[in-house]
Amino acid sequence: MTAVVLEQVSKVFNQGRADEVVALSDVDLTIQRGQFLSLIGPSGCGKSTLLRLIADLLAPSAGTVTVAGKPARKARLDQEYGIAFQQAGLFEWRTVRRNVELPLELRGTGRAERKARADEMLSLVGLLDFAGHYPAQLSGGMQQRVAIARALAVHPPLLLMDEPFGALDEMTRERLQVELLQICAKTGTSTVFVTHSIPEAVFLSDVVVVMSPRPGRITATIPVDLGERTDATRQSEKFFAAITEVRRALRGGSS
Amino acid sequence: MKWAKLILPPLIVGVGGILGWELLVKVGRIAPYVLPAPSAIWSELVEQRSNILDAALASGLNALVGLVAGAILGVLAAMLASRWSLLSEVSIPIAAVLNALPIIALAPILNNMFESTSSLPRRLVTAIIVFFPVFVNTLRGLREVNPTHRELMESYAASGWTFARLVRLPGALPFVFTGLRQASALAVIAAVVAEYFGGLQNGLGSRITQAASFTAYPRAWAFVVGACVLGLVFYLSTLLLERLATPWRTRT
Repeated sequence: MTAVVLEQVSKVFNQGRADEVVALSDVDLTIQRGQFLSLIGPSGCGKSTLLRLIADLLAPSAGTVTVAGKPARKARLDQEYGIAFQQAGLFEWRTVRRNVELPLELRGTGRAERKARADEMLSLVGLLDFAGHYPAQLSGGMQQRVAIARALAVHPPLLLMDEPFGALDEMTRERLQVELLQICAKTGTSTVFVTHSIPEAVFLSDVVVVMSPRPGRITATIPVDLGERTDATRQSEKFFAAITEVRRALRGGSS
Repeated sequence: MKWAKLILPPLIVGVGGILGWELLVKVGRIAPYVLPAPSAIWSELVEQRSNILDAALASGLNALVGLVAGAILGVLAAMLASRWSLLSEVSIPIAAVLNALPIIALAPILNNMFESTSSLPRRLVTAIIVFFPVFVNTLRGLREVNPTHRELMESYAASGWTFARLVRLPGALPFVFTGLRQASALAVIAAVVAEYFGGLQNGLGSRITQAASFTAYPRAWAFVVGACVLGLVFYLSTLLLERLATPWRTRT
């Protein structure tokens, strides 16, 4: 069973105008159920565009996007995915718990179940004690964890993340990476993760997809097999070997 | 300790200012019709306290009705304008121009449009004056939506109204209150000054003109003090309301 299938997908911005930009050209990509896949590449390679096509926040200029076996638009309307961005994007007028409840609220979930589900998600990211706080009272890393809890609240089969740890310091980033993997393993969620950090992509992923710009396209698909990830993984030979491989693919793509 | 630091400096300056004023009038032998001494104003204030209270309640009611009506209209108009970007592009400069007009000058005209015993002209002037700061600030708030919030709501397939209710309106609330804070002080000024142009003689403004025409300057000043206090009450009430309505901004 596949989580996401893209076939011959292209995206052109400002089509037919002088400032036309080919953001993506002829992308084919399949993401398996339960797989953790990273998109990596320099700025302007279309990785965020690709994520937004899967999320149906953008419509492809050509080709088809299938999510959870249905057209991307239908999948969005059915809330088949949860999404998190570089900015945590919490609603500052809602408490942490009410932020996590929001996607459930929009689905029409009852009050009691909403609260139970929000608390479940908050304990998953270790922030149950902060349920009654406002986002402004939390650190950046905590806010990002709330955003992840919110993305997972509807128990989506797919998690989309656009550089969610990009604005965090290295220590917090590494801790959240480990946490994220544990959560994904626990919930069986498939994940598409956009990043421009090579170690981050390698540490997290089953598959690293390397992209290059002008026009945005996939230049390499590198499977990563590091077994179960722990902090020791970051010192292992295999980890460094995979990093080298991804780096080489990135260089090759840009020459 | 923190409170003392906050309160003491303005208190010292205030008390010092009043003492200096008293001294200036007494030592400088300034005529009472030029500037009455604070002590004279104070004794009028005590003597006229029930009159001042009645007048303040009358003016305050006009200001309140105008403030509420103008604020509701301002928020509704801003919501309407924010729905169509062209409308909001056009309406902001127009609102700025209208706001620059001395709307208080409408008071005598409005007075002639209604019966002389009606409080409506004052309330109308107040509402018009309140409308602009509330409208302009609310519109700014409604138009400033965090792009991440926008994408997120789109990913939830939220409808336009849900988006407005859950994101636009609460996000604009701090801006609404910025407008209301400006408007609350303006409302009292408008309600009091509108009384200068005739009509019912029951508010602070008419009492000030009456006292002045009888050359009872300390009494006129006592009513001015009443107007000051009324303005402060309005402003502080708005601040309090803001704290209650936007608890996420004070708890850090």
